[in-house]
Amino acid sequence: MNARGLDLTIEGLTVVYGGVTALDDVRIAVPSGGFVTVLGANGAGKTTLVRSITGLLYLHKGRVRRGSIVLGGESILGRKTPDIVSAGVAQVPEGRKLFPNLTVKENLLCGAASRSDLSGIDDSLDQNLDLFPQLRPLLSQTAGLLSGGEQQMVAVGRALMSQPSLLICDELSLGLAPKIVHRLFELLTEINETRGTSILVIEQNASLALEHAADAYVLELGRVLMEGSAAELRGNPMVQELYLGGGGEAHTSYAAIERPRGERRRGRKKPGGDS
Amino acid sequence: MLLAFGNFTADPSVNLQLLIGGLALGAIYAVVALGFVLVYKSTDVLNLAHGEFLMLGAYFALTFLISENLNFFLGVLVLLLVMLVFGLLVHYGIMRRMVGQGFFAIVLITLGIATIIRALLLIFYGPTERARLDLLPQGSFEVGGATVRHVDLIIFAVVAGCVLLFFLFFKYTRLGLHMRAVADDIEAAAAMGIDPDKVYAMTWAAAMVMAGVGGLLFGHVTGAIDRSIEAIGLRAFPAAVVGGLTSLGGSIVGGLVVGVIEQFANGHLGTKWREPVAFSVMFVVLLVRPTGLWGRKDLERV
Repeated sequence: MNARGLDLTIEGLTVVYGGVTALDDVRIAVPSGGFVTVLGANGAGKTTLVRSITGLLYLHKGRVRRGSIVLGGESILGRKTPDIVSAGVAQVPEGRKLFPNLTVKENLLCGAASRSDLSGIDDSLDQNLDLFPQLRPLLSQTAGLLSGGEQQMVAVGRALMSQPSLLICDELSLGLAPKIVHRLFELLTEINETRGTSILVIEQNASLALEHAADAYVLELGRVLMEGSAAELRGNPMVQELYLGGGGEAHTSYAAIERPRGERRRGRKKPGGDS
Repeated sequence: MLLAFGNFTADPSVNLQLLIGGLALGAIYAVVALGFVLVYKSTDVLNLAHGEFLMLGAYFALTFLISENLNFFLGVLVLLLVMLVFGLLVHYGIMRRMVGQGFFAIVLITLGIATIIRALLLIFYGPTERARLDLLPQGSFEVGGATVRHVDLIIFAVVAGCVLLFFLFFKYTRLGLHMRAVADDIEAAAAMGIDPDKVYAMTWAAAMVMAGVGGLLFGHVTGAIDRSIEAIGLRAFPAAVVGGLTSLGGSIVGGLVVGVIEQFANGHLGTKWREPVAFSVMFVVLLVRPTGLWGRKDLERV
């Protein structure tokens, strides 16, 4: 039914926008069927990481200077996005990025753009609606009019329509009520366990991500600051201090404390609460 | 008061004639507006070369249907295929390199394309004007004291057919869906594996084919075919804007409304009032509804 999860190996990835380095020698590995999270504050390079994997850097005038990105043994670096999607990578973009004037059903169908097995698309639609039964009555609604939570479900469902072997979610929790974010993470775990899909979750909401993922990386100012099992990182005092609200200054980033190389400092945005 | 402007009359047959003439002119405007809308909706480019595209279509119609004397349907097929190839050329040769550049830079590029087309037509066809096309039925009939030309009815039917075809294409085909997705959010569409480049190429090809249809039709009702007929592009502009620039149906209604208003201004106020009145209608519509009558208000809740 679904392709088995593929492993993703990123090594020495360095990405620049013009003269600005956004990622510096980043090494991240998602095992086949694994669930990995990359944590980091705003400006840490999380979205650049997603764009590098999915081949969308060119839309932002960014380019990979060094490094390799290998999916299931094949390099996907430098390939065009339609190719990468066909190879098995699907994404839930930051801020959902639905097609606001299209209906929910049309949005979901766009997720199947890379598929050539037209007859299988209807089955996938049905399967995904079983995951999100509350979308069934909304199929002919204009997507731009849905609530934030419903929109995020459409965004996840849309990504699943390509039957990915690696699903990347960029800031799934942004602007959503905690209850809905919880539900979405439970669904990701379910997809990971039942379908074997590899999952890479890019998050600011560290506590929830660490609860569901097996492995975790902390990205700070374009570099991998820490890596380990999610349990290890949950127990790490620095992670507790910076990302789990352990200390008094829960929303201060690492950069704000140590400020290496005097780089720009950005406060951590608190996840909002509209649904 | 209006009497002061000219030959205002309440004679119903005169007004009926103006209405019919206006609808016929409006149908032509609608064809042109449809071309504007196709490109603007899908690629966000305001294509100021569309009048020249249409002129290209009219000249190619001369070549394939008159000079080469091909069978009518075969000739039309060849005409549309050649136009399709030109559309792909415009995309792959020029517009593709402009994706992501500023709106005005791209509008200026389309002006450049317009200039090139005018120059090429001068080089290959020379400066002499040609007689208008006469391949469609030339007869007419009377209704309530007004004359209705067969050719106007045919234009009407063709335009309605094209709009219906486009509507069905956008609503029910995969490529149509992908085109609408790119129009909505190019980055999200790209992230789904839709190739915006391919979608844009199809859009320019479709606009050029539409201009081929427009040139063939307009070539039958214009005074003569020469390098001034590109002005139809500018004259149809109010129609496209009134219709909203993003709505296929809007381009039809906009075309008809502006055509009829122009004919009434022409008949009652005199020829010199035609265009000022048409553009005034555009200004008024834009003041009241900046998105045009059927323009898209983006539905975005963030």
